[in-house]
Amino acid sequence: MPVTLVDRLPLPNLKVYTAGSVLLLSVAVYYALSVTSDPNWRANATLQRQGAMGAEGEGEVLGMVQPLAEPTLAAANATRNISDQFVEVMTFMMQEPLCMWTVINIAYCALALFGVLVQRAVFGRLRVAEAQRLKDKLWNFVFYKFIFVFGVINVQYMDEVLLWCTWFTAVGFLHLLGQLCKDRFEYLSSSPNTGKWAHLRLLVLLGGIHCACAGLFAAAAHWGLPAGRDTFAFMFAECLLVFVSALHVVARYGLQAHDADAAGPIAYYTHLVFDSVALVVELVHVIHMVVYSNMLVSMASLVLLMQLRHLLHELQARLRRHRLYTALQHHMQTNYPMASKEEVEKNQDNCAICWEPMKEARKLPCSHLFHNSCLCQWVQQDASCPTCRRALAASGGSAALAAPLAPAPALRLPPGLEPPTVPHPNHLFHFDGSRYVSWLPSFSVEVTRVRMEPPAASQIDAMVRQVQAMFPQYPAGVLAAELAATRSPALTVDNILEGRLPPPPTPPPTEQPPPTPPPQAEVIESTSTSEPPPAAPPAATPPDDADALNAQEHIPQAGPVCGRFSGSAAAREASLARRKEQLVAAARARYRARRPASPAAPAPSTPHDS
Amino acid sequence: MAGSALRRLMAEYKQLTLNPPEGIIAGPIDEENFFEWEALITGPEGTCFEGGVFPAKLSFPPDYPLSPPKMRFLCEMFHPNIYADGRVCISILHAPGDDPMGYESSAERWSPVQSVEKILLSVVSMLAEPNDESGANVDAAKMWREDREQFNMIADRIVRKTLGL
Ligand SMILES: [Zn+2]
Ligand SMILES: [Zn+2]
Repeated sequence: MPVTLVDRLPLPNLKVYTAGSVLLLSVAVYYALSVTSDPNWRANATLQRQGAMGAEGEGEVLGMVQPLAEPTLAAANATRNISDQFVEVMTFMMQEPLCMWTVINIAYCALALFGVLVQRAVFGRLRVAEAQRLKDKLWNFVFYKFIFVFGVINVQYMDEVLLWCTWFTAVGFLHLLGQLCKDRFEYLSSSPNTGKWAHLRLLVLLGGIHCACAGLFAAAAHWGLPAGRDTFAFMFAECLLVFVSALHVVARYGLQAHDADAAGPIAYYTHLVFDSVALVVELVHVIHMVVYSNMLVSMASLVLLMQLRHLLHELQARLRRHRLYTALQHHMQTNYPMASKEEVEKNQDNCAICWEPMKEARKLPCSHLFHNSCLCQWVQQDASCPTCRRALAASGGSAALAAPLAPAPALRLPPGLEPPTVPHPNHLFHFDGSRYVSWLPSFSVEVTRVRMEPPAASQIDAMVRQVQAMFPQYPAGVLAAELAATRSPALTVDNILEGRLPPPPTPPPTEQPPPTPPPQAEVIESTSTSEPPPAAPPAATPPDDADALNAQEHIPQAGPVCGRFSGSAAAREASLARRKEQLVAAARARYRARRPASPAAPAPSTPHDS
Repeated sequence: MAGSALRRLMAEYKQLTLNPPEGIIAGPIDEENFFEWEALITGPEGTCFEGGVFPAKLSFPPDYPLSPPKMRFLCEMFHPNIYADGRVCISILHAPGDDPMGYESSAERWSPVQSVEKILLSVVSMLAEPNDESGANVDAAKMWREDREQFNMIADRIVRKTLGL
């Protein structure tokens, strides 16, 4: 089930937004210009300024200004230089609320443009998954910060709100960039054709993020400290989170550069440290917020407590995974010793799991050799030798092994790299705007992704009955599995209706035992060893059959094309497409040759027939 | 982990390109996504699927080869072990942990020593010898047992369709 966060939000396209913002700004500037160049306003402004400056003898000053105003203004108009005018316009715009909003708007617009610029320069086009994740992150961030500003800090004045908005805009911007870097790093490291430049650009951006983080730290110290220790701690924690997550990506680069074993101790403990630091910082941050807000019964603290629960859960899961890892390491150490040098040298084969040569290897009781990390990952999944399928649990002997040998797939190593499991997030609220008005957004804010204990069997049974009443063709087993995942009959029904749950096979009829098919192994054997297709068209082929001739022209080319494995992706793709075409063309020609006249004739040479 | 999956897939792709089994072609269509492959499988000689070239999609998990890929035929198929949506039901594609049908011994199931080539060869032999104990397509299984003539007619129609004839 896809995470349905902000999907149909009518965000204007950036060009339109920029054009609109610039237009608004120019209108505001024009307005400000026309107002400030109005003599009356200028008189007023000077008056105010003088009034503010000279509180002495107000009466006589006023009397003097009135007659003086006209000539000074004329002179000023003539000599007014640009910078004065600029300052004037700016001060005016800052005082006028509408103008001020347009200025703020243009600042956001500039930030968005800058973001797009960075994205174009570093990432190129975003992949769908990245864009989706970015949106999720953004709305989650906005939601939490909204809670923070109005629920925790409880700001009263517009100025304060603006200051916090500025701060969170900066933090959020870096946060999103960091997320994007992380996603892109994972993508780059899992795709075969990435140039050095892509990595270099990413590293430069990561450096930039770190510099900006340093700036944020400085800002937190400069403005946060005078405002109180709490404010400083809040700001500091946010910077730290961004900093740690960006540093984690850099650390992964480091690991990759050193070609560290993905399941080896160095990589493992690096990830462990980063994961736990990030979790602990966030935990402390949230606890601090709860304590600070000091109101246990409010919407804000409810949200915070749910987030706290989620974080605790994550931390617990992380610790559990760590215990599992150490237990597994211990188990491997004691039961499957490293193979001796001679054994490794004698063994000519590559590791059967990754197909790469082995410099050192672990030996299973069945004397099959594997890489340490490959074996480690496999043993978590299945306690048998990959090659001969001999069960390993029995050979271990100790009862303590049973637990590490059969962990849930969710506990796989290494952290952060496990296959993406389909999340079943709990939504705090879901707003389906399009139900009311078509352009309204439809989004839900995801608060926790806690994997709850599966519902009790009786609950599932009740839900299964509920769903089966609507879809009797689905067997209870399938529905139970789906319901255990979704925990909600409504979601399951959605999944069925939208075709995400494949229709089940109807149960097989059990009337008669199936006839055993005649042995055909020889036939297959002969196909795979028979000569290449040119020999295939039988002698009966009419010589004027153009297709058969075509095929014979085609087929000789097939040989050389098969034999190459180009170094470039494009060449490989082209060669693959070409070979496919040839295969189909050859098969077509053979089919025509075999059954030239009657396409409706039944297959002639099936041995099962008679 | 995705890195090692990628290296292994690349090695398999190379092997399949340099030493292709007869009548089988497989590889990633778009190397931007190395985890989605398309395969062409020629129907085995001497069977009702003889001569057809059947396209299929292979989707690899990020932890390949620890977990098996998924395979789905992209053309219409009528076969006891192929679901109506094209998914292939053979034991080699089942992860060691799951056993939906409850009849396989773990020895037949997925293990990292299996490969794309072995999967495709198993599918070829599955085309030749349907296993009508697993009822992925009950109608096909029934027809295979009871009305071989009609089964062959349908198979031939599908073969011609895949060849565009
Ligand atoms: Zn290995
Ligand atoms: Zn073994």
